[in-house]
Amino acid sequence: MTRITAEVCTSRVSRIIILLMCIPLRFAGADTFIVEDARELSALNVSIAVFDTGVPEDLSLHRDLQVFPQIREIEAMFLPFVLRETLVKTTEWGAVRVVPRPDVAAELLVSGTILKSDGETLELRIRVVDASGRVWLDKAFVGKVTDSHATVGSGSGSPGYQQLYDEIAESLLLARAQLEDEVLADIVEIALLRHAKQLAPSAFGDYLSKADDGTFTIHRLPARDDPMLDRIERIRGAEYVITDAIDAKFQELHAEIASIYDLWREYRRKVIGYQAEDARRAQSTKSSAPRGSYEALLNLYDNYKLDRITAQEQDSLAVAFSNEVGPTIAAMETRVAELEGWVDTQYAEWYRLLEELFEVESGVEQ
Amino acid sequence: MLRISFTVVLLLLLAACSQQPVISDERIRFERRMPANFSGSWQRNYARDDEVNAVLRDAYNKLIRTLPDQRRPAGSGTDPSASKQMDSLLALARLAELITRPDVLTISQTKHEISIARKDDFAMLCAFYDGVAKAIENDNGTEICGWIGNQLISNLVLRGGLQVTHRFTMSTDGQQMRVVTTVSSTTSRIPFTLRRFYSKFERPTSDFNCIETFSMKRVCSTTEIVR
Repeated sequence: MTRITAEVCTSRVSRIIILLMCIPLRFAGADTFIVEDARELSALNVSIAVFDTGVPEDLSLHRDLQVFPQIREIEAMFLPFVLRETLVKTTEWGAVRVVPRPDVAAELLVSGTILKSDGETLELRIRVVDASGRVWLDKAFVGKVTDSHATVGSGSGSPGYQQLYDEIAESLLLARAQLEDEVLADIVEIALLRHAKQLAPSAFGDYLSKADDGTFTIHRLPARDDPMLDRIERIRGAEYVITDAIDAKFQELHAEIASIYDLWREYRRKVIGYQAEDARRAQSTKSSAPRGSYEALLNLYDNYKLDRITAQEQDSLAVAFSNEVGPTIAAMETRVAELEGWVDTQYAEWYRLLEELFEVESGVEQ
Repeated sequence: MLRISFTVVLLLLLAACSQQPVISDERIRFERRMPANFSGSWQRNYARDDEVNAVLRDAYNKLIRTLPDQRRPAGSGTDPSASKQMDSLLALARLAELITRPDVLTISQTKHEISIARKDDFAMLCAFYDGVAKAIENDNGTEICGWIGNQLISNLVLRGGLQVTHRFTMSTDGQQMRVVTTVSSTTSRIPFTLRRFYSKFERPTSDFNCIETFSMKRVCSTTEIVR
């Protein structure tokens, strides 16, 4: 290790500390710190990652399964926000945020995969893991819309499916109720330490132990007044502000496309109804014309034609839906990418500064 | 793969019921790229088309040759089965004429699909994934395509023993196209075939850029539309 004189050290430490101290000043007034300080032990922060689209890789299956990949991509960004709103309404949690990619250091990370979404049925596989690696939930939730549930134009993006989101929220509360306060407190500590380890592995590399099953336990804790930990918390506060800005973008997206999405879902629901009706009609109204006659042949051809025209109509309306919401999605993705890019750049800088600072602080010649 | 095999078996079974051979297994495959590109707008060249009545007359003559001897004792009337065959052939001819009526075909071809849009009818769809044809199925029938050299074949097998086959062949300069449509049924001894000819044309460009939207339907602008 380089030998550092006390004078040089003081100068470098001061410079780095000033840089790190600047972080929260830039975001003065952010709610995040207040939430952190005031929340109850059970009110863990929840990060909901953008869902997996669940689109099969085999392109040839898309038509059979009636999966519209572009629409699934929109739903993958849109549906997590509906879950976020449901969790916020329970007032049982800390900050609930939609994040563009899974954050392993989140206190509670919710991941989801869209298994089915056809307007009539929404099926989601939801997996919830806390910072210690404990799996809270890993199951499929199914919501079905009936005529009495369907409320076109509500603009909520979830008419008829609210029950599904409520079930997820309820399952989360049940899972949390199984855990002791100490366990919840540990989750918060572990989340912070995992974050600290990511940012300053030299300083925080040995505070956690990882078991073979991937779960983390606290090996030892840093001192309460550890200045390095204080810096990590400040950085995390700054990151939260950016995450909140990204979350706000998902909120804007939801507000802008909720009504059109409701319309799309209602359309899809009706198509399914019509298809069932057509099948019944085809069964019950077989042509009475003599077999082989022009009327009988035309009837066979027209039945097929009707089915195909309905399918084509669906395809073209799926494209129309993508056309309509495309610019909104593109604008949001650009802004989120900018914010993420900023965080990535800052993260690299913070990482460098913290490692340097740790080296300086632990390498000072007394 | 299992699905494709199932589809092929299903088509063979359906074909067995409807007399006509379907596209064979080797014809639903191709290497790398599709053998021909039919993309574009095509308008009917009526001057070269088959004349329906003439084709029907030829088909009648052919049918008569396949029927048992029609010379029956005086007063016994026409053989009812022969009369039924005549009616069946006429029904096929009427259906073939109806199906081949559109005067413009708009063909879009991508890496995986060929869509042939027709006025007042569904767009025929040929889907190929990894060089293998994928059948389009619904409760009333199955549509599958294949290639014989540069010739595209679309085969529609309907419930009730009706089958419609289109063969698309393009001229070497890519400006002319021939579509041979064959309609067959288990109720008729012989199929009915009609040829239609098309010439490629360029659709006039519009001063407006338009897109379809879900809630506002067609939206047009004189400037470029952001998608």
